[in-house]
Amino acid sequence: MKEYDIVIVGGGPGGSTAAKEAAEKGLKTIFFERGRKPGEKNSSGCGLGPRIWREFDIMKELTPDKCPSIREGKAARNYFVNKNDIVAGYVMTRPTESVTYEPAKSWITMNIYRSEFDPWIAKFATDAGAELKTSTLIVDLLKEDGKVIGVVDEKGEKYKGFVIGADGVISMVARQSGLRKKWAHDQVTMCPQYDFSAPPEKIDDIMGDEALAVWWTSTCPASYQVFFHDGFHQGLGNWLSWWDASPLYYLNRIINLKYYQRLLRILEAKPRELQGHLLPWISYPYNTHTENVILIGDAGGFSCPLEAEGIYPAMVTGRIAVEVAADAITAGDTSRTALDIFDEKWKKTSVGEDFEDGEELSKIWQALPFSPQETMSWFVPMFMEAIGGIYDWSQPHSKRIRQIAGHIKMYFPKALPFIMKYVFPLVAKIFENELDKMMDPKQLMAVLPKLLQMLPQKKKKRGEK
Amino acid sequence: MRAQDFNLEGLTKRIPGTGDFISIDIDKCNGCERCIIICMKALWKKKGSKIYLVDDYQTKCLECAACYQVCDANAIKFQYPVGGTGIVIEQG
Ligand SMILES: Cc1cc2nc3c(=O)[nH]c(=O)nc-3n(C[C@H](O)[C@H](O)[C@H](O)COP(=O)(O)OP(=O)(O)OC[C@H]3O[C@@H](n4cnc5c(N)ncnc54)[C@H](O)[C@@H]3O)c2cc1C
Ligand code: SF4
Ligand code: SF4
Repeated sequence: MKEYDIVIVGGGPGGSTAAKEAAEKGLKTIFFERGRKPGEKNSSGCGLGPRIWREFDIMKELTPDKCPSIREGKAARNYFVNKNDIVAGYVMTRPTESVTYEPAKSWITMNIYRSEFDPWIAKFATDAGAELKTSTLIVDLLKEDGKVIGVVDEKGEKYKGFVIGADGVISMVARQSGLRKKWAHDQVTMCPQYDFSAPPEKIDDIMGDEALAVWWTSTCPASYQVFFHDGFHQGLGNWLSWWDASPLYYLNRIINLKYYQRLLRILEAKPRELQGHLLPWISYPYNTHTENVILIGDAGGFSCPLEAEGIYPAMVTGRIAVEVAADAITAGDTSRTALDIFDEKWKKTSVGEDFEDGEELSKIWQALPFSPQETMSWFVPMFMEAIGGIYDWSQPHSKRIRQIAGHIKMYFPKALPFIMKYVFPLVAKIFENELDKMMDPKQLMAVLPKLLQMLPQKKKKRGEK
Repeated sequence: MRAQDFNLEGLTKRIPGTGDFISIDIDKCNGCERCIIICMKALWKKKGSKIYLVDDYQTKCLECAACYQVCDANAIKFQYPVGGTGIVIEQG
């Protein structure tokens, strides 16, 4: 049996961050990866969020000479696809004036393949003195009197130490420690994804700095597109409770959109890889630790409740887990209650703040882009009527505006219950209002008639007395 | 190029030697067919009322574990393949 202070299962961004922090504290640390190198089993979008740059110094060193696949996602395009599979319109966005810090003012995400990012980040851990054991599957937890004291690899080798479960969505550590057997169907999403190759100059010419896109469709779950230096991902996801046909069937529907086919052609894109991965997506992390064990990142269900950004939360929880474990080891008490401080600490971070509104955020997302038939089928035409109806020479413009307003009103029976059920609770939560106050019929009646009055009415003709 | 023309098997690299890493306990299976729906590679099939995993799944599986996660009857046993074997994702 080999003895360590900290034993980490998983060499993803969470495990590597934990290993680096632990080694820097002088703790004897080992981390395990089942792939031959970190990153070779992982599939993400993969866009890194600017909060990582704000809080982790190493990010300044992430440059194209070290990770050539990098592309800055300076702008994002949102395609709206109607139920006849036609791109009804699109909106391009970039960081807005209210964004407060760099690099968030310059880009939305930094896109990079995991096969480059994961080994890059793992090297900071090994440079700091952590031991990395690759091509090694950890199959069990080592126990003494029912208490976890370490891990066991597939060859039966035992490693003793405080255990950090950084083993991703299918976490052996979570299962064997009794923290979680399996995710429920509405706690985990399935994500099929293609990678396409494309010449960098084609991507530069055609996409410019629009290195991200979301395809909001009325027939499939929302699908994301992320551009890298010489290729791009097209993927989508939905909770396990949702699927009525193969995830690949839905992804292929996106690929086969006429508009998408044209994009593939002009980008000279070729399919290069097919990937399938699960992603936990829950409204609030629970059962994150037990005696001598802490779960971080995907193993603990920490990806953002709205958009499932998971790399930053994995890194934040990895760092905090080590702080907590180090203090507990020094104090000689790694009991479950002593580790409760892990929850207190992550709740105070930017990750914790996202989960404050986790329930409302994940619900609205589930009900909107992930409910294509129920919601997107009316949302897309309603939205496009509002933004697309104006540019139209079929009638005098005032008549057009009345037509548009009348048509949008037609969607109210569907839109209003949606707003009451999902938007109001979210707004109430974000602005720390009481929902009852917002939904108060008296207050609603005070504004609603005024709003209705504002709808275009027939006016006097110019020059008419 | 339409999606149905993609050569799916050519889109995944792998290192052989995984051994068996997925299995089904027929006695526990309730025939709900969720594994059949969720598997992107269509590796779960039904013959009569019996659900089974295709023989050559080791050379086709994406190691996504969706079949294992979706099976409420706990009839599917899954463990990642032997370290250093199985799929290699180069652009993940
Ligand atoms: C399709 C998709 C798109 C995504 N897009 C984004 C995005 O754009 N931006 C973003 O921030 N997040 C994204 N996410 C989420 C993000 O990928 C995860 O939240 C993040 O990878 C979690 O990091 P982690 O270190 O906790 O776990 P992982 O990255 O899953 O790392 C776990 C590691 O442990 C290894 N491992 C597992 N079990 C064992 C074992 N028993 N023994 C040894 N090794 C083991 C695995 O091989 C893996 O390398 C996406 C996820 C998916 C599936
Ligand atoms: S998901 Fe499980 S119970 Fe359902 S058919 Fe498949 S093996 Fe049987
Ligand atoms: S792990 Fe994924 S690809 Fe493999 S059999 Fe199960 S569902 Fe299919």
